Amino acid sequence: MSSSIANETTCSFTDRRPWTLRRVLKTRPFLYAVSLFCFFYGWDFLARSLGAEGSSSLARPLEVLAALVDLWDNELAELKLLGHIWASTQRVLIGFSIAAVLAVPIGLAMALNRTVNAIVKPLFDLLKPMPPISWISISILWFGIDETSKVFIIVIGTFVPCLLNAYNGVRLVEPELYDVIRMLGGNRRDEILHVCFPASFPAIFAGLQISMSSAWTCVLAAELVSARSGLGYIIVQGMNLSDPAMVMGGMAVIAVVAYGTTLLLTALERHLCPWKRKIAGL
Amino acid sequence: MTAYREVRVRTPLALKILPVLSIASFFFLWEFVVRSGIVPSTMLAAPSDVARLFVVKLTQADPDGALLQEHAWVSIQEAFTGYFLSLAVGIPLGLAMGWFVMAEGLARPVFEIIRPIPPVAWIPLTIFWFGIGLPGKVFIIFLGGLVPCVINAYVGVKMTNPTLIQMARTYGASDWQIFRQLCIPSALPMVFGALQIALACCWTNLVAAELLAADAGLGFLITMGRRLAMPEMVVLGMVMVGLTGAVIGVVIDCVEKRLLAGIRR
Repeated sequence: MSSSIANETTCSFTDRRPWTLRRVLKTRPFLYAVSLFCFFYGWDFLARSLGAEGSSSLARPLEVLAALVDLWDNELAELKLLGHIWASTQRVLIGFSIAAVLAVPIGLAMALNRTVNAIVKPLFDLLKPMPPISWISISILWFGIDETSKVFIIVIGTFVPCLLNAYNGVRLVEPELYDVIRMLGGNRRDEILHVCFPASFPAIFAGLQISMSSAWTCVLAAELVSARSGLGYIIVQGMNLSDPAMVMGGMAVIAVVAYGTTLLLTALERHLCPWKRKIAGL
Repeated sequence: MTAYREVRVRTPLALKILPVLSIASFFFLWEFVVRSGIVPSTMLAAPSDVARLFVVKLTQADPDGALLQEHAWVSIQEAFTGYFLSLAVGIPLGLAMGWFVMAEGLARPVFEIIRPIPPVAWIPLTIFWFGIGLPGKVFIIFLGGLVPCVINAYVGVKMTNPTLIQMARTYGASDWQIFRQLCIPSALPMVFGALQIALACCWTNLVAAELLAADAGLGFLITMGRRLAMPEMVVLGMVMVGLTGAVIGVVIDCVEKRLLAGIRR
């Protein structure tokens, strides 16, 4: 038995039929394998045929791997690969924590109190449409090119989704839940503690997830513009040396690390908020 | 006679004044901080300076080589080309991935590989491939818009009420019929949600692409402002990016309302 998003309970069962070629062709693992094989083979083929013409704008998968091993063993700007990964992750974590600690309470306060809303909302609406990346230039003017300016960009980039989701999470709580707690004799404080917070928790966490991916975009953009360390720096160095293997290696590492942090957040959410309804999704 | 009466809730006067007051004090504080020299004028420009530069830039191409409206037009062109490309590819792909096992099996692994890479990380590679012209930027913007389109269309199809699908099966509908007549309509609200999200992604990535490699556009204006140490130009660029993005967002919202008029949310 599994419950769907539409709140119906559906029975799922598997029927045992003999494995025919047609059925094997339609199983997911097989299709995934085919897809991955085609992807890497196509990439390799493309890189080889482009490389034959003398232009080196695409690295072969194995070259990317070799570049990664090289970065792992040798230092680039006084840091090995792990050092660069840690440099970027550190920035993301610091910026993300600052933004989450600031934005979630503000968002909750905005949703719960009309006066706060009237004061903060217009300012927020004013600043919201500016993409965080457009703050890079001004943050360099303000803080120079060291850590502070990068953390600042990340805070800006993660602030908006955190706040928006906390705000909307509280506002979209089902009114029936309030009716229930009122009928049980709860006052305003009980409403907030027992209805608002638990019910908006999934939305807040969704906001944190969005923030996390936004934070990675921001840290990369900041590092691409100016940095002496970090994953963005690896990519820029690869570009300056016109070494596509290094660029793609950097991209691969970013993908893995960003994916890892997403998994971490998902695990945390499952731990902290087991009442979240499952949504079939990516 | 109408079936229901419109209920008007009167907002207290204080709640009407506070937003105005808040915005006014924000600008006043900003102006004051710069004018009084608490923040040096090399770091931040007063709003009045920004407004002045805005007027000047409408008619004067110096010092960055193009008028303000030309910059805006270049950016809008790039953003929309990439945006529509990502819609045209992402939505059908997402819908197909949601329903057809074959499509999901073949597309999903590749999609999962590409998804966690922030579009910004593609910029150096794009410069290798396309140079710094229009195609490169369109590619970055396309990648930025693609992911939300695919995800929303996919989730939209997956969220189709399973009872309806079972009923359609019972009545002998084919896979294709169910997909076309049941899954797509039920996914539409999610797909339209993707329009806004993708636009925001596209717009962010546009600025990133232009910061790193461009010779015109609003992102370029910001970069030039920094290089020339003209904070008023940086702020003007930021304001213009925000303003243009907001205007496009409102337009899309109107289109969405018009298109969705017949569909119950």
